Amino acid sequence: MTPLHPFLRAPRWLSQPRILRPPNTKAVRWNSSFSVDQFAQLASRQSSKHQIYQSLSSDPYVNLSIEHFLLEHVPADSNILFLYINRPCVVIGRNQNPWLETNLRVLHNDRGAADNDPEDALYVRRRSGGGAVFHDEGNLNYSVISPRATFTRDKHAEMVVRALHRVGATNTSVNDRHDIVMSIDGASAAEQSPQPRKVSGSAFKLTRHRALHHGTCLLDSPNINNFGSFLRSPARDYIKAKGVESVRSPVANVSSVFADASIRFGIQDVIASIMGEFAGLYRASPDAVHRAQRAYVHDPELYAGDDWVIGAVGEAQGYEEPEIKKGIDELRSLEWKYTQTPQFIFSTYPVEEDPRERPVLPPSLPPSTRVFLRLKHGAILESHISMSPDSSVASEQAVRAHEALKGRKLHEIQPTQWKEVLYEQLGPGEDAGTVEELARFIATKLGWV
Amino acid sequence: MSPIARSLRPFASRLLAQKLPLSSVCRAAPASFPRGSVRSFSQSPFSQLKKYTESHEWIELAADGKTAKIGITEYAAKSLGDVVFVELPEVDLEVSAGDPVGAVESVKSASDVLSPVSGTVKQGNAVLDDNAKFINQSPEGDAWIAEIEVNDVAELDGLLDETAYKATIDEE
Repeated sequence: MTPLHPFLRAPRWLSQPRILRPPNTKAVRWNSSFSVDQFAQLASRQSSKHQIYQSLSSDPYVNLSIEHFLLEHVPADSNILFLYINRPCVVIGRNQNPWLETNLRVLHNDRGAADNDPEDALYVRRRSGGGAVFHDEGNLNYSVISPRATFTRDKHAEMVVRALHRVGATNTSVNDRHDIVMSIDGASAAEQSPQPRKVSGSAFKLTRHRALHHGTCLLDSPNINNFGSFLRSPARDYIKAKGVESVRSPVANVSSVFADASIRFGIQDVIASIMGEFAGLYRASPDAVHRAQRAYVHDPELYAGDDWVIGAVGEAQGYEEPEIKKGIDELRSLEWKYTQTPQFIFSTYPVEEDPRERPVLPPSLPPSTRVFLRLKHGAILESHISMSPDSSVASEQAVRAHEALKGRKLHEIQPTQWKEVLYEQLGPGEDAGTVEELARFIATKLGWV
Repeated sequence: MSPIARSLRPFASRLLAQKLPLSSVCRAAPASFPRGSVRSFSQSPFSQLKKYTESHEWIELAADGKTAKIGITEYAAKSLGDVVFVELPEVDLEVSAGDPVGAVESVKSASDVLSPVSGTVKQGNAVLDDNAKFINQSPEGDAWIAEIEVNDVAELDGLLDETAYKATIDEE
């Protein structure tokens, strides 16, 4: 892979805008430009059958909430395309477990401790189903909102495949998981038919009349070889969770196809190509497509014809429209991020529900150490934390610790609080240093640095 | 649906409801039903106790005339595919008609389950916590999603009966 793709540092559509010229005078009458504060109004206008937007924001909360607003408010028979690129973040599915699906230790800590680097990748829970994915500036997100009655799960992945073929990535196709994969030629003669690499994953949200399909598309992620460090949990050997588990797939950048070729491959080409395929699929007005493909995205501006709206939207719309603001607040809330988690157990020893062999405990802890937590809505429902090899002492320790822990939200228990609880409840019989080690062990596995 | 069909449907479904075979009426109103209370939960002697929504939920009123179970229809279960997770509502959650009373995830798709009427959640079906796939096996039977206490039983009158619901599926 050559590191010189034009959008490696900044997407080309952000850095090299093309100035729009109305295609003809007649179009001027229809292609009226509007201020972006009319976004909500234009999007929900009954005649706005085709809508194409690019986001100016790289904030995943803003983009997911603009998308959700569109799902809930556009006319029932309309077709919407929304494209956005997020800053680095891990996005998990609605019914997933952040302690199991992400490495909270390397993500931005939103739970209130000091180890907060604003540059860190974010942890986000989306409203649609499916598994965990990593996003960054080399990943284009496409989102199509269409009537539920005519929706199929492959329809828009196929649309994106046609768009990718058009820009030259002809080795892409949709697999039976509704993902887009790329076949890889055996780089070395020894490799006969390597497993296709995933370049795009999909998730869906269905409402009464509408279907949202959003997908990632790894065009040129600089982190492509590093996804595991964000998606591999330090607690994966200890947690057994209800809900939805991610299916791990080998990934690749679409750009890797062009690594040895002289074809120029830019994100704006892919965007324009997806817009073209979308317009073909839903028979959008050519005016709308031309306008959308050439939109000057540095200027947040909207254009509308009698049955279409296109343009660039961003943070201003997100925070000014109360419905979108509400969505942003919800996605950012720790309730949504943590307590929406389906039931799970965390156990350092095999139990009936999760009989896996466990890793050996760190040598700083006595082998009799036991930690078991059962959580519902992110709160401790049941627990057993003890260190004593004597079973009656151990059960007393566990009872005392549970008194202090029951009902508490897991994400709210900071490392110092683990330490306090364990000091008070496991002592005085246990060595203070060892208790501190146990507190550190638990906090580390649960995502504290 | 065409505007004409839309305007005709309530009339047509009323007609059809009256022609329903006796067996389905018996199923809807069990023999053990307390005498004298029948008219308190419905104005129409022909209304059925199991009703449907266009968004593929069903609601069935219990013999007490106050509580009802809510679930998704056979058609919905089939079209969603393998259900992998069911989000159950909190006890005492107050819902209006059209509010989510749970959610179902299948094949990467999250879908809200909307309450057909307003009421208060009495319980979610805990069986689904451990066995979400049960929805695919018995969507209109034991794999109900929520039990609610209905605010106003008359709200059920505004919902689709079986015949009208089947007609909406045929259009899709």
